[in-house]
Amino acid sequence: MRIYALAVYLFLYIPIGIIALFSFNAGRHASQFQGFSTQWYGKALSNPFVMDAFQTSLTVALASAVLATLFGTMAALALQSVRGRLRLAFDALIYIAVMVPGIVIGIATLIALVTLFGWLNPILAAIWPFAAKAPQLSLGYGSLIAAHGLFAMALVIIIVRARMAGMDRSLIEASADLGATPWGTFRQVTLPQIFPGILAGFLLAFTFSFDDFIIAFFVAGSQTTLPVYVFSSIRRGVTPEINAIGTMVLAVSLLLLITAQAILQRGRKAE
Amino acid sequence: MTDRNDFLSREKFMAELWRYKKGSVTRRHFLGVTGLGVAAGVLGTAMPGLRSAAHAQGSIGDRVVVASWPNYHDPANFDAFSSETGAAVDLNVFGSNEEMLAKLQAGGSGWDVFVPTNYTITTYVEEDLIEPLDLSLLPNYDPASFDPRFADAGTVNGVVYAVPRNWGTTGFVVNTANLGGLPKPTTWKEFWDMTKAEFSGRTMVHDYQLTTIGNALKYFGYSFNSIDPAELAEAEKLLLEVKPHLFGITSDYQPSMRSGDAWMSIAWTGDGLQLHRDMPEIDYVLGKEGGELWSDFFAIPKGAPHRDAAYALINYLLAPDVNAKEVMFHGYPVADARVNTILPAEMLNDPIMYPAAELLDALEFGAAVTLTDPNRAELMARFKSA
Amino acid sequence: MQRQTLKTWLFLAPAGAWFLCMLVLPLVVVFVFSFGERGAAGGYVPAFTFDNFLNLGARWAAFKNTLTLAPTGTLICLLIAYPLAYFLALKTSPRWRTLLLILVIVPFWTSILIRSYAWIYLLGGQGIPSLLNALGLGNPRLINTPFAVLVGIVYGYLPLMVFPIYVALERLDKRLLEASSDLGSPPWRSFLQVTLPLSMPGVATGCMLVFILLMGEFLIPAMLGGGKVFFIGNALVDLFLQSRNWAFGSAVAVALVLVMLVTVAAYLRLTRRWAGGRDDVSLM
Repeated sequence: MRIYALAVYLFLYIPIGIIALFSFNAGRHASQFQGFSTQWYGKALSNPFVMDAFQTSLTVALASAVLATLFGTMAALALQSVRGRLRLAFDALIYIAVMVPGIVIGIATLIALVTLFGWLNPILAAIWPFAAKAPQLSLGYGSLIAAHGLFAMALVIIIVRARMAGMDRSLIEASADLGATPWGTFRQVTLPQIFPGILAGFLLAFTFSFDDFIIAFFVAGSQTTLPVYVFSSIRRGVTPEINAIGTMVLAVSLLLLITAQAILQRGRKAE
Repeated sequence: MTDRNDFLSREKFMAELWRYKKGSVTRRHFLGVTGLGVAAGVLGTAMPGLRSAAHAQGSIGDRVVVASWPNYHDPANFDAFSSETGAAVDLNVFGSNEEMLAKLQAGGSGWDVFVPTNYTITTYVEEDLIEPLDLSLLPNYDPASFDPRFADAGTVNGVVYAVPRNWGTTGFVVNTANLGGLPKPTTWKEFWDMTKAEFSGRTMVHDYQLTTIGNALKYFGYSFNSIDPAELAEAEKLLLEVKPHLFGITSDYQPSMRSGDAWMSIAWTGDGLQLHRDMPEIDYVLGKEGGELWSDFFAIPKGAPHRDAAYALINYLLAPDVNAKEVMFHGYPVADARVNTILPAEMLNDPIMYPAAELLDALEFGAAVTLTDPNRAELMARFKSA
Repeated sequence: MQRQTLKTWLFLAPAGAWFLCMLVLPLVVVFVFSFGERGAAGGYVPAFTFDNFLNLGARWAAFKNTLTLAPTGTLICLLIAYPLAYFLALKTSPRWRTLLLILVIVPFWTSILIRSYAWIYLLGGQGIPSLLNALGLGNPRLINTPFAVLVGIVYGYLPLMVFPIYVALERLDKRLLEASSDLGSPPWRSFLQVTLPLSMPGVATGCMLVFILLMGEFLIPAMLGGGKVFFIGNALVDLFLQSRNWAFGSAVAVALVLVMLVTVAAYLRLTRRWAGGRDDVSLM
């Protein structure tokens, strides 16, 4: 059993080890090791396109995760008291959002927005009341955040709802009986109980957006997210710079994971 | 700096001198173009002529995004451009003109410079995706020094939309170490037949309908550009037969040829030369039946976000000394006579870059209709998903 | 009561608007476009024709590939993940468990692009085949084959399968196992009669997750299949990014969504029956 587990871990880590190893390659090619060097880390960190892509990814992931968490939680709360057709419609939408493959979402968003912008831009230009040129609607941050947020929001609704299902409703009733305002009840009773769900939803939403390639590939327009940049670098012919980027992202996420774990542990001990 | 007829760079002067010596221009033309006949002193004032106009005026921004082809640019030249102008270059590579067109049609490509092939430019103009070029911002572009055969496609209805970068042929590379006693293939018929037999599992074709379908058509002796449904049906039958025997379908075949995973691939001149230079056992072959002759161009898409930098980069890469460095890296011939004066003789005599006349004569330029023909596009998609 | 409804509507409005603009509208556009025609230079021109749907047979190979490789990949993931999840949930000390679990998720944090790239090298001629050759085990061609794509799939999605199964096994009441062994049943029997049935919800969730993602997969076949192993996702991307046939591409997308809805519905039905009508087989 142990040997089996070890084998699976080896399977999981050998490719990652190779990526990390070649990030220290002195040579230009990603397949022959020609001596130790950290030059590719310097190159990656001083490459304005890498930094730009990183910033774009971070902005999009943060914005879409915040909006998705906020609107998703609101929807999950409201859906508690909704029955009938509206409830059915929302359930269907959530189901479809999770089910439809990212590639279809990406392509559908692309052609819908390109067609829509094709209609709207001339109208906008015609009715623009100011002297300056009318702004052109185009793919970019907006479409990225909206498309990423969609799937993330569905995730948040599902997670928060699952959390609420396990909630002790008698506490809410007790709080109301004791004369608390609905807002007070929400803040002091409901929110603390569903908060882990909200946090988990936010983290998942952030990770999904930060890692997504396929939707961004279609709707990023002239923006470049980190995965899109990595994809075009691989096509260009890989240099160890890409390995360095991958290794850095991995190291940062490991650090975050360990920190989060440590904070949780301490919190548990404090209780 | 803007009126190129009054000012003349050293390089251009050398090029004209070279053309004059070769006898391709008359003495009168030489004196007229160089201005020697008018005023001898002009040369002196024009010596720093290689600065780009946009750059001379000031900042061009800190970046420029290029859409081009695999193994096509010397990274050192981009680095030099960046350190000279402060604009970093982001290179995106594509496997087919269709892919570039699709990206531009979907809007918001974010590119500043792209490198379309001769036969696509009329479509870009019709689709309103390409910017007419302001030649005053490209002082290093000298139409007179370019062979019109490889430059004319950039001009549509009298407007210059694209300036020539280099030309080349589409043949195939074969690793002769794997022939095992077989004679080296010299025709497209042999290319496809060997793929089905001795080289099964070791051949690659481009992820590009023009060359893959075009050279399948050549098996039957049809035109590379055919859109005749009956002829295309035959080509499809061949391609579907060959499909199980392919190693891969990709336009970046160098890595697999180098690693030895693949033994033969449809290939462009420069890839053939780069592979042959590093691994002499890999030969570049032009099919005797013919195939494609092409010319690539620099162009600027509509709505390029860094237009000044785009002009500066094109102008920089057209400077004969820079262009010569590019050629030494990528191994494609250029149509610019000024560059040829700088290139080493062994490159100018290289049979891969400059194939024998009878091989060259059999080649065809791609036709605009092959880019837009729906049947060819669908045939390629069917072949890939089969 | 009036206020309550208003609040509910206000709370639902942003999510509803988002779903409407970014999900319903694009899907409607795709549906409408699927009855259109390709423009002269590509793109879409309005029309009303069923040709695109009648032409779907031209992508049969891609559908067949997806419908064989997606379930196969899911099954292999399950076979590898189950013992590992079992080991983690029942055979490790709590001290190590968290660390080992984190180690399963960590690869998931590296971009799938970069991880797949590592496999291009490992499966290429200079990787595993040359190693096998040196050991005298032949020199098989691995890269650009369905096998390579399967390896990439399993590698990419294994953590997604391990996690839900682990959660199901970890929740399992250990006293049941003790009772079973006290009653004299051998370990394999306890496993088959107690552990396995109780972990079924986790298995169902994991399979569901992996299967849904595999049905829309594009990247792994593109990188490890050398353009030869085509999923529907690849055919779809090709139609938009190469042949620029938005109308036919839309029809393929509609077909993909329909195929998914049907298979997933059938799957849910099957697992519900399997799990004895229990309701805890959920998507997430």
